[in-house]
Amino acid sequence: MATVEKYLKPEVIRQISRLDLRAQFIVKGFLQGLHASPFHGFSVEFSEHRKYSTGDDPKDIDWLVYAKTDKYYVKKFEAETNITGYLVMDLSGSMGYSHEQELTKFEYSICLAAALCYLMIHQNDPVGLVTFGEKILDVLPPKSKRQQIGNILSILANLRPNKQTDIAHSLDQLAAMLRHSSLVMVFSDLLAEPDEVIAALRRLRHGGHDVILFHVLDHAEVEFPFDGLVELRDPESDQSLEVDADGYRTDYLEAIADFRRTYEKECRQSRIDYVPLDTSMQFDRALTEYLANRHNWG
Amino acid sequence: MGFLTPVLLGGAALIAVPILLHLVMRRQPRRLDFPALRFVQQRRRSNQRRMQLRHWLLLALRCALIAGLAFALARPTLKGTGLRGKEGAPLAVAVVVDNSLRMQLVSGNQTRLEQAREAAGRFISQLPEGSKVAVVDRSGASSGFAVDTATARSRADNLLLESAPRPLDEAVIEAIDLLAQQPDHRQELFLFSDLTTASLGPDALTAIAESLESHKEVRLYIADVGVDQPINAAITRVEVPKKRLRQGEPLRVEASVELTGLAETQVVELFVRSEAGDEVKRGQRFAEAAADGTALVKFEVADLPLGTHQGHVALSSSDPLAFDNRRSFTVEVTPPTRVLLLGQSTDDTLFLSEALSPSFLNNEAGAFRCTSKTFAQLTDEALQGQPLTEFDAVCLLDPPPLEDRLWQALVDAADEGLGVGIFLGHRARPSAFAESLPQQLLPGPLARRSRDSTHLRPRNLDHPATVGLKNYAEDIPWQVYPVLTHWQFEELAGDAFVVARYANRSPAIVERPVGRGRLITITTPVSDPLEPEGREPWNLLPTGPEPWPFVALSRQLVGYLAQRGEEQLNLRPGETATIRLPGGSELSSFVFQPPDGLPLRRTLPPGADSIQVGSTRALGNYRVVAGGRSGELDRGFSVNAAPELSRLERIDGKTLTAALPADRVRVAREFNDVQKYVDVGRTGRELFPWAISLVAMVWCAEGLLSNRFYRGGE
Repeated sequence: MATVEKYLKPEVIRQISRLDLRAQFIVKGFLQGLHASPFHGFSVEFSEHRKYSTGDDPKDIDWLVYAKTDKYYVKKFEAETNITGYLVMDLSGSMGYSHEQELTKFEYSICLAAALCYLMIHQNDPVGLVTFGEKILDVLPPKSKRQQIGNILSILANLRPNKQTDIAHSLDQLAAMLRHSSLVMVFSDLLAEPDEVIAALRRLRHGGHDVILFHVLDHAEVEFPFDGLVELRDPESDQSLEVDADGYRTDYLEAIADFRRTYEKECRQSRIDYVPLDTSMQFDRALTEYLANRHNWG
Repeated sequence: MGFLTPVLLGGAALIAVPILLHLVMRRQPRRLDFPALRFVQQRRRSNQRRMQLRHWLLLALRCALIAGLAFALARPTLKGTGLRGKEGAPLAVAVVVDNSLRMQLVSGNQTRLEQAREAAGRFISQLPEGSKVAVVDRSGASSGFAVDTATARSRADNLLLESAPRPLDEAVIEAIDLLAQQPDHRQELFLFSDLTTASLGPDALTAIAESLESHKEVRLYIADVGVDQPINAAITRVEVPKKRLRQGEPLRVEASVELTGLAETQVVELFVRSEAGDEVKRGQRFAEAAADGTALVKFEVADLPLGTHQGHVALSSSDPLAFDNRRSFTVEVTPPTRVLLLGQSTDDTLFLSEALSPSFLNNEAGAFRCTSKTFAQLTDEALQGQPLTEFDAVCLLDPPPLEDRLWQALVDAADEGLGVGIFLGHRARPSAFAESLPQQLLPGPLARRSRDSTHLRPRNLDHPATVGLKNYAEDIPWQVYPVLTHWQFEELAGDAFVVARYANRSPAIVERPVGRGRLITITTPVSDPLEPEGREPWNLLPTGPEPWPFVALSRQLVGYLAQRGEEQLNLRPGETATIRLPGGSELSSFVFQPPDGLPLRRTLPPGADSIQVGSTRALGNYRVVAGGRSGELDRGFSVNAAPELSRLERIDGKTLTAALPADRVRVAREFNDVQKYVDVGRTGRELFPWAISLVAMVWCAEGLLSNRFYRGGE
C-alpha cells in the first residue's frame, strides 16, 4: 500500500485510500450528474419473475404481468453478471513519460483504471488486470470482491513502465486467452504501428469482446509545446533527433491529429469505444464525458 | 566609390568569427525525452532542410552584419563628381579672386568683388584647421600660403579692386604652381570670377588647361559671381589726337561710348580743369548708340592758355559699373620749339627751316620757331658768352671744321639738355673731326665718303625719333630720293645707336646720348641744292619731287632732339609716368597730387633730370607741381583703365567646360553649389547613413531570427 500511496498522493488522488474515495467521488459525481441509472449498459439483465413481497422495490413490479394475471410479480435480475471486465495496461517505457504534468501517462491510466475498477466492483462485476509489454506480463484473474480493487492497485503501483512494447502481439495474446465475452479496457499511448494495433483490436472485437480503448497521451505529445532548437529522444528506442521545434509544431500537430483520427475512424467502424485522453484532462471530466457518450450510444 | 578610413575595412576579416562559431562552437540544443518521436520523424526530411536553410541564413546574416559594420565604419563615399583625390590628406587650397575693376559691377546691392570676397571668406573659414590656404588675386603681388586660415580670410576680406590687373590666367597658373609645390596635400583651386570673355578668353582657357594638364593633382572649382544680364554704359576710350597743342590751337577730344544691355541715349559731358582747380563743364553731347551699341562723340575746346590742362569726359547718368563712366585726359599747350639752324651761310638752312616752319605759314603759329645763323656768328656769340640754352635744339648743317670753343659750347649745352643734330656734308674733314672735342659729339671718326648710290631704308621705325612715321611706313617712297654720297665711320662709339640705315646697310642716322641732351648725326646733308656749283649733290632728299618724306623726317628728328612728344601724358594704371624737368632746373622737391588723395611732398635727388611716378593705380588726373608761385613746374598726366575692363560679355558655359579638362573642373553658380561640390569632391557623397541603416536592418533580422531559433535556450 505504501508504494501505492507514494504515487497516488497528495490531496485528491494521491493516497490509495483517497484513490478509493476518489474513484467513488468520480462515480458519485457522475451519478449525481445523471439521475437515471447509468448501469443499463453494463451487466443488468433480466433473469426471471418472482412474486412481490414486502420490501421489494415497487419500481421492479412488472406491470404487464400484473395486467395479465392481476398479481404482483417483480422482475428478478441476475445476481451474477456475465460481463467480466479486464483492465489492460500498457507497460511500455513511453507510458512513464510526463512533460511538465503531475502524472505520467501510466499514473493517469492507473487513476482511470482504479475508477473503472471501483465502478465495476460496485456492480459486482468481476474485474481482472492484464499488463503487457512485448507480451502479456501479469494477469490478475477477474473477481468481484471489494478487495480486488486493492489487489489491482497494489500490483499497478509496483509496476514500472519501462518495457519495450508490442501492442498488437499482446492484444492477440489476450484475445486468445479470453474465453468469454468480456469488457476489455485498454490503457495505452498506442505509440506503435497503428495498422497492426488496429488489426489486433479488430480481432479482439471479433472475438465477441466489448473493447474500450483509452488512448492516453501526455499533454506535451498532444500540444507539442516546445520551441527553439531541441534534441528529442525516444526513451523506448533511444533514437534521438535534433529539430527546430517551432518549425515542427504544425507538422507534428497534423501528424498526431492524423494518428488519432485514424484510430477514431477504425474504432468506430469496428464498434470499439475510442477514448482519446491527455494527461492534462480532469479524471472525472474525462470519465463522465466518456460514459455519457456511451450511455447515449446505448 | 572610396573610403575615408579604408583601414577599417580590415574589420571585415572578423566575418571569420561567426563562421568559426557556426562550425566549431555550434550551440547545443536542449535534450528532451519525447516518446512520440515517430511523428516527428515522419516529417523530418522537409523540416531538416528548412532548419539547415535557417542555419545558413543566420550565418549569412551574421557575416553580413560584421561586413556591413566594417563597411559602414570605413565611411564609404560615392564619387558622384568623378573628382578623385587623396582622401584624408590635408588640404592645400588656393583661392583666386578676380579683383579687376570689372568686378565693381553692382548687382543685388553688392559689387561682384564684395560677393566674391564674402563667398571666399565664408569658404575659407569652413576649411579644416591646418589647411594650407593661399589667396591669389590679379594685382600681381607675389603671394604664398598664409600662416593660417584666419590670415587667409583676412587677406581675402581686404582684397581691393585692381585697376591694372594682370591676366586672370596668369593668376590661376600662379595658383596652380603654388599648389603643385604641395605634393603631399590635396590640391584644390577655387576661382571666384565673373566669367567674362575678356578675362577668360580662348587663349587664357588654353593656358589654364595646359597648366592643369601638367599638374594632374590639382582640381579646379570655378565659382561664378557674375551677372547674366549686365547693364552698363561705358566710355571705353578718350582720344585726344594732339596731346601737345600750340597756343591757340583748339583741343579736340573724341570719346567712344559703349552700351551693354541699354538702348537709351546717353548724355556725355566734357569737363576741363580751370586754373583755379575746378572742373568746369566745357561741352555736352548726346551719344546715340549704333546697332553694335557703340557711339562716338567729339568735343572741341578753344582758347586754352599755355600750360598743362587736365579734364575728363563723363556720362551724366549712373549705372552698375561706375569706373568706366568717366575717363580723364591731359594735354599740354606749349610754345613752339626753338630751333637754331647753323650753316656756312644762311642758305644752307633754307631747306630745313622751310621743313620745320614753312615760310608761307605764320611762323609764330608753327610748332617750331627756327633761327638761322652762320657758324661764324655763333662763334662770335660764344665768345661773348651767350648761352645756347635758350634753344631746344641746334642743327649743324654741313659743318666745316669748327673752332674748339664752338665745339666746347655745343658739348656744354648738350650736357644741359640741348639737342644737337649734325648733318655731315662735303665740308666735313675726317682729320679735323677726329679731334677729341668733335668726337665727344660725333658717333665715331669719319672714314671715307661713300659714293655708292643708295637711298634711305629704315628697317623699322620704332625708334622714338622716327616713330611718328610708322603709321605710313609702307607708303614712303625712299628710293625716289637717292643718296648719292654719304659719310662712313671707321668705328662707331660704344654708346652710339644706329636709328636708320641706307639700302646698302651703311648707317644713315646715328644717335648718341650726351649728358641730358640728345645728339643725332646724319651721314648725308640736307642743305645741298639740286645743282650745287662745281660738284654733284650728295642727295635729293630735300630736292626730289614733292619731298614730303624729308619734311616729315626732319620734323620728327628735330622734335626728338628737342625732347618733345617724349612724355606719355595718358597712361594705363601701373605704368610709370616720367616727367622731364626743364633744362637747368635745380628743383629739390615737388608736390605730387594723386586723384584720390591729399597732395604729397616728395624730394628729388640732386641732379635728377626727370620725375618718375610709379604709383599710378588710381584712375584720374595726376598733377606734379614744383617751384611754388613761380610755377617753375606744373605738369600732369592721366591714368585710364584698359577698355576691355568694361566688356561684360559672359563666357558661354559650354565653351568653358569644353576648354578645360572635364573631370577635374566644376563650375558652380551659387556658394552652396561650391560647398556641395567641395564636399563631394573632397570626401565623396558619404554613404555612412545608408550603410549604417543597412547594418541596423541586418542586425534586426539577425536578432529576430536567432531569437526565434534559440528561444528558451539555456
